[in-house]
Amino acid sequence: MIVPLNHILLVAAALFFMGLSCTLVRRNLVMILIGVEIMLNAAGLVLVAGSAFWQQLDGQLMVMLIMAVTAAEVAVALAMVVYLHGRTGTIDVNTFKDMQG
Amino acid sequence: MTVTELIALLPLMILALGATALLLLARGSVGRSWPLVVGALVALCAALSALLLPPCLMEVGGMYAAGPYARFFIALWSLATAATLISSSAYLTRRQLPSGEYTALLLFAAAGMGLLSSAVSLSGIFLALEAFTLVFYVLIAFNKDCPLGAEAGLKYLVPGGVAAGLLAFGMALLYAASGSLQLPAATAALLSGAPMQSVALAGMALLLAAFAFKLSLAPFHFWTPDVYQGAPAPVTGLLASGSKGAVIAALLTLTATLPAAPAIFEPVLITLALLSMVVGTLCALAQSNVKRMLAYSSVVHMGFVLTGLLCWNHTGRTAALFYLVGYSVITLGIFAVITSFSADKEPQQLSDYRGLARRQPLRALALTVLLLALAGLPPTVGFMGKLAIFSAALSAGYPLLAIIGILVSVVSIYFYLQPVIQMYMPSSSSAEAVEGHAGEYTVIALCLVLTLAFGLFPGPLLELIARLTP
Repeated sequence: MIVPLNHILLVAAALFFMGLSCTLVRRNLVMILIGVEIMLNAAGLVLVAGSAFWQQLDGQLMVMLIMAVTAAEVAVALAMVVYLHGRTGTIDVNTFKDMQG
Repeated sequence: MTVTELIALLPLMILALGATALLLLARGSVGRSWPLVVGALVALCAALSALLLPPCLMEVGGMYAAGPYARFFIALWSLATAATLISSSAYLTRRQLPSGEYTALLLFAAAGMGLLSSAVSLSGIFLALEAFTLVFYVLIAFNKDCPLGAEAGLKYLVPGGVAAGLLAFGMALLYAASGSLQLPAATAALLSGAPMQSVALAGMALLLAAFAFKLSLAPFHFWTPDVYQGAPAPVTGLLASGSKGAVIAALLTLTATLPAAPAIFEPVLITLALLSMVVGTLCALAQSNVKRMLAYSSVVHMGFVLTGLLCWNHTGRTAALFYLVGYSVITLGIFAVITSFSADKEPQQLSDYRGLARRQPLRALALTVLLLALAGLPPTVGFMGKLAIFSAALSAGYPLLAIIGILVSVVSIYFYLQPVIQMYMPSSSSAEAVEGHAGEYTVIALCLVLTLAFGLFPGPLLELIARLTP
C-alpha cells in the first residue's frame, strides 16, 4: 500500500464522527439520514483499506453489499420522510413528541 | 452456490420465497384473512423443515451456519411469526389494513431474524440485522390511521440508522485489524498480543454499542417505550421477542468465540447489565401505560440475559438462551392477549383494563398468569429462567449482578400486578366485551401452556439448549 493503513483509519474515523455528530445534532430528518450515509461510507473506506492491506477481496465485496443495503435503507427511509411530511407538513424530528414519559 | 448449500438454507428460502409470492399474489387484499393463514402455513413449513431435515452442511459460504444452533433459532422465530400472523387476523380486519403486505413483511422479518441467529461472520450479522430492521421500519408505521404509528416509525428509524452506522464501522475496524470477516478469526484480533489490538478493541466497542441499541440496553433504550406504544400490538410482540432474541443469538455466537471477556469490556458489560436492570425497573414503576411498562420491562429482561452472557461460560450461555426462549413465549402471549382485547383502540392505559376480568374472564386469567411469569413467580418458565441466570452469575463470580437482579425482580412484581389489579376491580363502565377469535385463543392458550410446561418441567428444554449452545 502506498498510503499507510493508519492514515486511512484516521480519515475514516474523522468522517465517521462527522456523520455521527450530524445524526445527533441536526434535527432535520433528511440531514440525519445523510449523517447515517456518511457513517456507512466511512465504514466502506475502512473496508477497502483493510482489503488492500491484507491483500484479499472480502472487504471489497462487503463494501458492495453495504452499498446495496444502504440503497434499500434509503428507499424505506425516504418513503418514511414523504409519509411524515404528508401527515404533519414538516420533517423536523422535534415536532414528533406526542409520546412522552 | 451449490445445490447442497441451497438445501442447507431451505428453511430460510421457504420464508423468503413464500414472502415474495404472497407479496405478488395478495396485493392490496384489505380485510381478508387468507394471506395470514397461508403465511402462517409457510412459517410452519419453514419451522418443520428446520427441525426435521438434518443439515447437510455446517456452514454456507462462510457467512451463515446451518447447524443445530441455527436451525433451532430459525424454527423458533418461524413459530413466533406464525403465532403473530394467526393472532393478528381480527386486528387487521377491524382496522382495514392490507393483510397481504403485512404477511409478506412478517415473513421477511422471520427470514432476517433466522439469518441473524445463524450468522457466523461479521458480514452475515450486518446483512441479516439490516434485513429485518428495514422490515420493522415499515411494520411499526403500518397503521396509517394511528397518529402515533408514524412517530413510532420515526423513533425506530433514527436509532436504527445510527446503530447500522456503528455496526458497519465497528465491523470494518475489526476487519482492518484482523483481515477476516469470519468470526473466530475476526475476534482473534481482540486477544492481547495481536498486532492491531487497539483498532480491534475500538471496533468491538462500536459493535457492542450497536447491539446495545438493538437490545435496548440502558442507556441506549430511549427509543423503546415510544416504539412499543405506537406500533401495532402484534408487531410489538414480534419486535420484543424475535428481533431482540435474534440479536442475542448473534451476540452469543460472537462471545463464544472468545475464551474470556476482554479485560476492558468486562466493566462496560457489567455496567450495561446493572443500568438496564435498575433504570428499566425504576422507569417501569412510573408508567400508567401498559405497553410502555412492558417496554421498560424488556429493558430489565435484556439486562438479565446479558448477565447470563457475561458469565462467559457454557452454563451462563445456556441460562441466557433458556431465559430468552421463555421470555419470547411469555411476551408473545401477552401481546396476543393485548391484540385480542383491542377493539377500535388498543387498551393501553391502566384504566382501560378496569373490570376486564368480568367481561373476558379467560383472557384476563391468561394475562394474569403471563404477567406473573414475566415477574418470575413459580411455577412458570420466568422463575426457572431467573433461577438459572442468577445461579450461573453466582457461580461465575458476579454476586452483585445476582443480588441486584433478585432485588429488581421483587420490585418488578409491583408494576406487573398493576394491570392485574385493575382487571379484577369492579367497573362501572358499560364497555362491550371484545369478542375473541379462534386464532387469538389458540395462540394465547399455546403460550400459556408452554409457559407453565417449561416452568414445571424445564429439564428437556434445558438439556436441548445445553447441547446446542456453543
